[in-house]
Order: sequence, then structure tokens, then C-alpha cells
Amino acid sequence: MTAETATFAVPRRRAVRRAGATRMLPGHAAMILLSLICVFPVYWMIVSSLRPANRIFEGTLWPTAPSLENYAQALQSIPMGAMLWNTVVVSASVTVIQLLTGVLAAYAFARFRFRLDWVVFGLVALTWLVPLQVVMIPNYLLVARLGLLDTVTALVLPHFAHALAIMLLTQSIRAFPKEVLEAARMDGAGHWRVLWGIIVPNLRGMIASLAILIFISTWNEYFWPLLLTRTAENSVVQIGIQMFITQEGTQWGPLMAASTMASLPILIFYVVLQRQVIQSFMKSGLR
Amino acid sequence: MTFPLSRRALLALGIATMATGPVWAQMADEIIEPVEISFYNYNLATAGQGHDATVQLIEEFMAANPMIKVEGVGVNVNDMGTRVQTDIAARRPPDVAQVIFSDLAYAGQQLGAVPIDQAVPQADWDAHVEGMVPSGLDLGKVGDKTYALAYTFSTPMVFYNADLFREAGLDPDQPPKTWEEVKDYALTIQDKTEANGFAGGIIGVQVGPYDWLLQSVILSNGGSVINDAGTAVTFDRPETIEAVAMLRGLKDAGVYGNISRGEALESMAAGKLAMYIDSSGLQNHLLSQAEGNYELRAAQMPGFGERPASPTNSGSGLVMFSQDPVKQRAAWELMKFLTSERGYTIITSKIGYLPLRTAIVDDPEYLKDWVDANPLVRPNLAQLERMEPWRSYPGTSYRQVAATLMEAAEQAVFGDGDVAEIMQGAQARAQAMMPGS
Repeated sequence: MTAETATFAVPRRRAVRRAGATRMLPGHAAMILLSLICVFPVYWMIVSSLRPANRIFEGTLWPTAPSLENYAQALQSIPMGAMLWNTVVVSASVTVIQLLTGVLAAYAFARFRFRLDWVVFGLVALTWLVPLQVVMIPNYLLVARLGLLDTVTALVLPHFAHALAIMLLTQSIRAFPKEVLEAARMDGAGHWRVLWGIIVPNLRGMIASLAILIFISTWNEYFWPLLLTRTAENSVVQIGIQMFITQEGTQWGPLMAASTMASLPILIFYVVLQRQVIQSFMKSGLR
Repeated sequence: MTFPLSRRALLALGIATMATGPVWAQMADEIIEPVEISFYNYNLATAGQGHDATVQLIEEFMAANPMIKVEGVGVNVNDMGTRVQTDIAARRPPDVAQVIFSDLAYAGQQLGAVPIDQAVPQADWDAHVEGMVPSGLDLGKVGDKTYALAYTFSTPMVFYNADLFREAGLDPDQPPKTWEEVKDYALTIQDKTEANGFAGGIIGVQVGPYDWLLQSVILSNGGSVINDAGTAVTFDRPETIEAVAMLRGLKDAGVYGNISRGEALESMAAGKLAMYIDSSGLQNHLLSQAEGNYELRAAQMPGFGERPASPTNSGSGLVMFSQDPVKQRAAWELMKFLTSERGYTIITSKIGYLPLRTAIVDDPEYLKDWVDANPLVRPNLAQLERMEPWRSYPGTSYRQVAATLMEAAEQAVFGDGDVAEIMQGAQARAQAMMPGS
């Protein structure tokens, strides 16, 4: 490289960079706008939770008289701590159990050939089309007979397996390079070792994305806990939030405070696993 | 082990029971051993004053009746029927449930609620209901049986913003007494201020199949939604159609907008709406939001011309499902306490519902001090004498019948079609859903 070219290279690179930045500007502006639209409801929820009852409908971006009164009222009105704990326990248990049953069933469907295996797989897939509400009453009667009404165990029980987890994991295991599995088998690895030593570590991305999906959908579940629980202490946070909506009017302040508290664990979960979440969602094509 | 009755005798008993309907055993005379009963309550499924007051009621009852333990179970108001039905299937029926009046016929005729006037000894019943508003007691009747003891209870009220009245040059001491005045006042307010004139939880989004307020409007015009025998709907009666047409007139005049109940309520709370008609049970909620912003007042339900209004009620009754004589006695003792002078003192002062024992509002031992400090309840109490029961529809399709009326009324008021034709169409569809059709 001559001295002349070196002298002109820097400004040219700058110019190219500037031109690139100019080209990307509309895209970034659109992304910033979309981000603001996404973040604004969360911001409004937090700001509304700081407004007193007689100022709850004011339209200012920041409350004129901010206070934590709504948080105190929410914590006093419902057993928020117990409900949050129950929700975490139920969501975490359902996630772990569904992943476990999903991995085992998926391995069987992907690796074993047995008579009418496609029929069994089809039947499992069809269960995805049956809404929870349809089986809620039979499930309730069964849980009542087991003496598990109003328990956290009963909140987990009907969610031991889910077609979505089984189907996605089956597809992933089917797509796994057969040569690797055959090599492991030739080295003397049994099914158990192949599954936990080779397949599962390589499906971390898919398992992480599934875990997040299962955790969030369980966190947001409403109807099953509504039917099952008899006391607020044994219920989950979604039921607690709904308790502020009554025939005699909605208590928006405490409702927003409770919603903010209920969103925090999910937000933290997301922030901590952000990179993993986005990567795995992109890989698996899940939205 | 041998059974004392022969098969033939058993068969005869079974046939006799089927022919005469169930024979209700008299409840136990007293509680001599500890007993636990369940109480399904929709106030317990909420956070705030309704919940706290109900907990207080249950605790005071258990303190006064140490042999009886009450398990209070919070059940969402919209799910009460389903929940009771599910628990009956699970062989865990509640002993007492708080059932809204529109679900009462279903509870009595389909869910096997106990007719309390047959289960409770007559002298006991008579002693308890003395001093209760007779029209309130009638609310618990379905046909010739009493399935509920009226419990939480409210009537329609016009809440109005006195500051907006003044700003528009209207006298807040003279609230509208007729629907014609509602229209005139609303037009004046919309002309002179930035606020909207009128809205209500009568029909529309978020009101659902709860037609108690629409029934109030219809009854106030001499109409009805069901015949006296409870066998046929009467949506096509001229007076019924006329009442719906009056609401259409408000919409055509530009004073009654098709906004959801929630939006209207928020608009009223924010001081952007001058008049709002809905349940008196909203009073505490509206007061808390009006505080420091504007002066909230309340007036009675408007009438048609010279004819005084016929307010119905929203609210619930206490229904007994227990079949065990001892639990029935425990359930009755709880029902008595909840509807006693002390019970209504807590219910009215803490939740905001009306007391069905009106004498306690002037009794210093009970509600006098509270009523003096909360005069908004007075217009509500004055309506009780003219109150008509919120009628429920029979059969398993009772909700669909109510929904048919509500959807037709919404279409007739906020749409452009012919009011009479729409209501006649609804009549035909709803009648087809009535038992025996």
C-alpha cells in the first residue's frame, strides 16, 4: 500500500461508514419507534401504579403526586407474596416436567419404529387442538376425587405433558445427524446415554426456547387456577390481579401495582436470558 | 345387615317421591356437635372492601357460633352457576352460595337448591323476616317456592356531576326526574361544556346478559320482559318496545353514545361525563375517584312522564344447597346472621349495598351515624318502596334468553333498524328457548 493510498483510505472509509449510517437511519428510526410503542404500555402501567385513586385518569407522562400507596394497598388486599411464590413454583415445575416428558417421548417417536407409531404421534399432535377448557371439568372431577382441590400440586398435574413440546423436540431429534448417533451406538452407548449425553446438550437452544414458552404460558394461565383454587393463599398471581376488577368498579391503581409486581419476575427472566431467547427463537422459528 | 324396608316398599316409596317431587326433611333443631359448612361468595373473590367486609361477617358469625366453622370460598360472580354445578358433579356441593338473582331460577330448578321456606321451621322463618322489606323478600321466590334470602342488594341510581350542572347553568338541587329531562339536561350540558351528557350501564359492551337495568327502564314504562306465570317472554309488548324506543331517542338526539360500561364509568370518574345511570353499589368507587376533583351527587331512577319509575334491583341472594339436616341448620344460622341488623350494618357501611332492614338506618346502634355521614344512600333507600324484582328466566337457556334481549336492545338503540321489528324478532328467538316451546 502506497503512502498516497493510505492517506485517502481513512477519509474514504469514513465516508463509506457515514453513507452506511445514513442508509440505516430510517431503519433505526423505525425500530426506535416500534420499541417505544412496545415499551409504552409497560411504562404506563408503572406510572399508573404510582398515581393516587383520585388522579388515576390524569394524562400526564409522570404523576403529579407520585406515591407507593397502590403498592401498599395491593400487598394488603391480596396475599401477593404467596401468590407470586405459587406462580413461580407452578411455572417452574410445569416447565421442568413438560421438558422431561417431551424429551423422553420425542426420543421414542424419533428413534423407535413400532406398529402404528405414526397414529400415536398423530393422536398426540391432535391433543394440541383440544383447548384446556374442554377437559377442565373432567380434570376437576379427577382432582377432587384425588383430594387435591385447592393445592399447588393440582395446578401442575394436568400439565405433565404437552403436544407442542413433544412435536418440536421430535422434529429436532429427527433432524439430528444420524451418523453421530450411530457412531455413539457403535461405541457402546445405550439409548439413555445417547439421549442425555449427545442429543440433549446439542438441543440446548431448542430446549431453552421451549422452556421460555412453557414458563410464560403457565405464568399467564387463568382458567384452571380459577376453577381449582378455593383460597387466595393457594392461588396464583393472575387470579390476584383479577380480584381488583369487581362489579363495583375496577381499582386501577392497585391493579397496576399488582401487575407491575407480577411482571417483574418475567421481565428479569427475559433480561437475564435475552441473548439465549432471541437466538433460540430465531433458530427454531418460534415467535 | 338387613334393610328394614322390603323391595316392594322401597319401590313404592320411590314412585311416590317421583310423583310428588322431593320431600324436604326439616333441618336439625340445634347444633350440638362441631360442624363445618362451605360458603361460596363472590365478594370474597375480589380485593378490597367487599372481601374484607365478608371476612369480618364470617369471623363475627363464628365467634358468636363456636360450634359452626365456615369455609369462605371466593368464586367469581360470572362463574358461580358453573362452579356450583361442577362441585355438585364432584359431590362437594356448597352449603350456602351467594347467587345473583338472574341465576336464581336455574339454581332452584336445575341445581337442586333447597326451598328454604320449606326447610326452615315456619316460626323461625317468620321471626327472622320480620322487619325486612317485603319486596326484597319476594326477590328470593321462583314460582311458589323461596330459594333465596335477599343478601347484597342495590338499585339503579343516576350519579351526576354537580360542578358540570352549575357550569351549564343547571340547578344541581334539581336533578332530572324523567327521561325527557335527562335528554334536555344532557343536551344543555353538551352545549355549554366540554363534557358528555349521559351514559349508562343499561345495555352494550361489558354489560353482558345482565338485564336488570334494562328491565328497570321497561318496567318504568309499564312494560315487562316475561309474563307473570314465567312461561313466556314479552319483548314485543307495546310498552316494552316504547321503552327501548325512548333510549333510541336519546341516541338519535346525540346524548347517548355507544361506549362500553367501563369507558362510561371511567369517564364519569374522571369528571368528563355529567350523568351516569348504574348500580348504587358503585357509589363508594365513584366517590373515591371524585374526591378532590368534583362534587358527586346521586338521584333516583328517572320515570316516564308523570309515571314514577319502577326500579329493579341488582344483587344476590343466599341460596342453600346442603342436604344434611345439621348442615342445613348451620347454613340457616349463617344466613340469618348475614341478613341481621348487624349483618346489614357491615354490608351497607363497608361494601355500599342497601340494607333490607330499613329501620336500622335511623337506629344509632346500627347505621344512623353512617347514613348521616353518607347522605347519597338516601335517594336509594327512598326507591325501595317502589322496587320491582329483577325477573329471571326459567330453563337451562336462561342466560341465552337474557342475552337475546340485551343484544336486540343494543341493536335497536344504537343501530338504524326499526325498533319494533328488532324486538319482535328477539321475542320469537327467545320464546323458542323457553321451556316447553
